[in-house]
Parts: sequence; structure tokens; C-alpha cells
Amino acid sequence: MINNNKPNLAVEIAGIKLKNPVLTASGTFGYGQEFTPFLDLNKLGAIVLKGITLKPRRGNPPPRIIETPSGMLNAIGLQNVGVEALIREKLPYLQRFNTPVIINISGDTREEYIELARRLEEVSPELPISALEVNISCPNVQKGGLAWGIDASATYELVNCLRKATTLPLIVKLTPNVTNIKIIAQAAEEAGADALSLINTLVGMAVDLDSRKPELANISGGLSGPAVKPVALWMVWQVFQEVHIPIIGMGGIMKTRDALEFMVVGARAVSVGTANLVNPRAAIEIIEGIEKYLIENQIREVKELVGSMKI
Amino acid sequence: MTILNLKIKILSRKEVTPNIYLLSLAAPAIAQQALPGQFLHIKCSKDNYPLLRRPISIHRVNPQKGEIQILFQVAGEGTKLLAERPVGDDLDIIGPLGNSFKLYPESKKVMLIGGGIGVAALLALGEEAIRQGKEVQVLIGALNKELVLAEEIFSDLGAKVEVATNDGSYRYKGLVTELLEKILEEEALATGLPHQIFACGPRPLLKKVSEIAFQKNIDSQVSMEERMGCGIGACLGCVCKIKGEDQNNNNNGLPPPPYIYKRVCIDGPIFRGNEVVWDDQ
Repeated sequence: MINNNKPNLAVEIAGIKLKNPVLTASGTFGYGQEFTPFLDLNKLGAIVLKGITLKPRRGNPPPRIIETPSGMLNAIGLQNVGVEALIREKLPYLQRFNTPVIINISGDTREEYIELARRLEEVSPELPISALEVNISCPNVQKGGLAWGIDASATYELVNCLRKATTLPLIVKLTPNVTNIKIIAQAAEEAGADALSLINTLVGMAVDLDSRKPELANISGGLSGPAVKPVALWMVWQVFQEVHIPIIGMGGIMKTRDALEFMVVGARAVSVGTANLVNPRAAIEIIEGIEKYLIENQIREVKELVGSMKI
Repeated sequence: MTILNLKIKILSRKEVTPNIYLLSLAAPAIAQQALPGQFLHIKCSKDNYPLLRRPISIHRVNPQKGEIQILFQVAGEGTKLLAERPVGDDLDIIGPLGNSFKLYPESKKVMLIGGGIGVAALLALGEEAIRQGKEVQVLIGALNKELVLAEEIFSDLGAKVEVATNDGSYRYKGLVTELLEKILEEEALATGLPHQIFACGPRPLLKKVSEIAFQKNIDSQVSMEERMGCGIGACLGCVCKIKGEDQNNNNNGLPPPPYIYKRVCIDGPIFRGNEVVWDDQ
């Protein structure tokens, strides 16, 4: 291979062609616009927006985040503007970019998920909506959220209903807070998911010894950041061996090598999450790093790495 | 206003009093546009621990020299590492961030109240107010004499400075908010009340200042603090309760609570004292 011949970073997920395999994880990248002072949104593989619900949500009381060793806990509680404001105020801005937009959806009930999906499909001819990421794994809301994602039949039922309700590609986001993630992944695939994304955050807590109070007003929160990477890698590897649909891997990706490790254990694309909060250019630096790695290792196509682990 | 992510050089470092450090930084692009009350989001470590940036108020701005100063207290792992960074090192910062204190043209007389390290966020405002020809009175609160910050700097600028120490080791003995009440009584009889009050410090101080200002019908602005994630309005981690009509229809049929969550990083950190919901947390 000739070195000045650029390697191919493109991958396809759920029928969407991505110019590179690096996405931004939901909840860490706002609605995209917040990051425009720091990077060109055109360079991203895809943008995954902050989780949306049918009606606006106020979210949890503060404190909502607390740093932990090499990670952080968050309990935002799905604060969001609601789908109508998303359609009216947030999505039109993203139209000017040549980057697929994936909308993360949440609901308390099956009906809410379905109504959300229908509404988004309805406006999808005019607005940048490439796929839906179905959040069945939010640990920080009382109803819904995680309840779907920890039960295989609930997962199957919800994804199956959504599959019937929309033609938009469905990416199902899985929680690591389960005894066997393979069973949930299988249920989602059988129900018609086009892709899986994993992992959402791990439930945890932090305590202030001096006051003997929990650090988060919600008491528990979701752990993310470098601390969760080994767990995430293991789960992606397990799911990769179980399903045929593509996997978007995430959990503690801070730099290029982390992203490549996820691809080696089976992720076709990766999402950069907590790193965005620390380094707003993290996703771009990782894309550049992947290209450099491929050139240095004379790999023509990034997809050659997917599931290439040797055992 | 452009938010920048830069590496800026540490020009000097001084421990002004135990555990409180003053850093001078070379940052022309920040110095040109920084407004009083804004902050920098600083990566204190060079690796993943501590992971998150730390929001630190901009203390002083010198646009001519292209320099800014931060004054901060070592309160944990992040600020400890920041205090240990050697002169000549590059700091990874995002800024300037947040809204700013607003001085109204018609305010002839303003009062600044800082508690503890909160004084750090008020100096740039004091300088600007004096530059605009306003009469500036500064109330500094500290636990003891050793921890009184920026008294001389404010005096040199031409501000009238009062100090309260909790232990009475220097000047007024008691809380700075008690001193505030006393001074307002006196001022009301003498030269008249200030037209605006600005405060930065611990939450109980901000709450008390807001209450006093409200009673006296004086406009107050306070600098809020919350644990912060991204600093640029994306993660919704640093919210505080602000009075307002919530359009949230999803309250299980109950009337919506009379507040909304606003982001300290981008909607704040400066809020009007009487719009903050000063409850439990």
C-alpha cells in the first residue's frame, strides 16, 4: 500500500453510510450546536443527540454529577426540551451539515416510544433524521428507562412495536446492568433492531463521608468514563459473538487506541461520550488518530479491524 | 464572544495565603474579551485523574498585556494539581465561559460582597465599575485575618473596603452578611443605599445577601456554583433552580412547580438574587 493513499474509514450501520466510525454518545454532545466552537460537525461519523421524550422533562435536582476515580457519575434524569421543540428549534440547525443525525428516544410507556417514533418519521423527509437510538437503559429515571432493558421479553416487545411503527432504522441501546447481556441483545435483534449500541452507564453511587450524604441528589447515578472501559469491552465482545447486526461500542473511550480496541472486539463503530465533556475535540482527534493508525499499519479499510481479536 | 479551547502559559504563581494561589496566565485572546464574572474551565491534570475540568473564576484581566489572573483555593484533587503546576507549564483551558455581572449605567453606587474565595470573582467587576466612575464599596468576609483576600488591591483601586472575620481577628467580628445589614442601615441614613449589590461566596451567603437586597429593594446579582461537567451547556450537569413558568406538561396532572432548571455554566453563573430558588439543597 502506498502511504499517501488514504485508508477508507467508511462503515455502514443500520443502512446508514458513515464517513468514519466515530459517533458522539447521547447526552454528552447536547444537540450538536454546543460543540461548533471547537470542531467541524461535518467531520464526525454521526451525531447522536441528547435523549428526547415526547414531552419536555425537567430532570433531577442537583447535584447531578460527581467525579469518581477515572470516571464520573451522572443523574441528569433526561432533562430535555421535548420532541416538538427538538423539531422546531434544534434539528433545523443540523440540516446544514453533511453528517447523519441519530435521535436518542426515551419514554415511560410503550405508547410514548411509538408516538415519538411516528412523529419523528413524519418529519424525517424535511429534517436530518437518519436513525433512532432506542434508549431502554437510562438508569436515572423512575419509570421506564432501565426497566425495559433489563428484561428480554420487555425489550423484545418494545423493539417489536417500534419496528412495526416506523421504517426509520432502529439502534437499540443496551444497559450493562444485567446478568446476561447476550440474552437482551438477542431479543433486540429478533425484534427487528438494525443495530445495537452498548454500553449505557453502570449504576453506582458516591458518598460524602463528612456529611454522610450521597453525593448525588438522586442517590444513584450512571458511571461513565475510563473506569468503565474494561466492562464495556467485555460486553461488546460477548454481544459480538451472539448477534449478526452491527454494534456501536462505547464506554470510556478517551483516545484513539480505546476506539480501536472496541473495533477489535467487535464494534463496527464507536461512540465518544464522557471524553467530550473533558476535551470537546476528542471525537475529531480520535478520527484523525484512527486514520494515522491505519496508514502506519498499512490497513486499507477500517472495517478490517472489526472483530479481529485473536484468541 | 468566542469560546476558545487553548493551551495558555503559566507566567507566575504565588501562594497568597495558606492554600490560596494566584496564577498569572498569558492569554491575549481571553484577555481581549473576558467579562467580569466569567470563568475558565481548566484541565488540572494531564491524565484521566481527576477526569473533569474545574471551573475557576477569572480574577483579573489585563487586555493591554494580554494577561489574566486566577485566584483559587485548594479544595480537592483537581485544585491541588493546579496549584502544583510549575511556571512555564501550559494549561488546557476553555473560556471565557458564562454570562457576566451586569453594571447598569444608571447605578452610581454599587456594593460588592465576597465570602472566602468568592472574593476572587469580584475584582474584575470592581475594576470595571471604578473605570466607569461608579462609587464602589467592597465587603470582604473571611474566617480569620490571614484569609482576607484582595483588601489592598480593592483599596488601591479606590474602592471603600470593609472586612468581616468570623473570629473577629480583624475588623468587624461576625458574618459579612451581618456587616452588610449594619452598613445598609448606616448608609441609608448617610449617603443613601447602593443601587446594585453583587455577591460571590458560599450558598448561605448568597441566599442571605439576596434576601437583604430584596427587603431593601436593591437589585442583586449572585455568582452560583454547582458541580460542572462540560462547561459549555451540553451535559446539563450543573443546573440550579430558577423561578419561572415551567412548560413541562408531564407532571402527572399536578400543576407544574414554579421553577426551572438552568445551567450554571451557560445561563449563569450570574443570576439575579431574587430569581434563584433558595431551598433545601
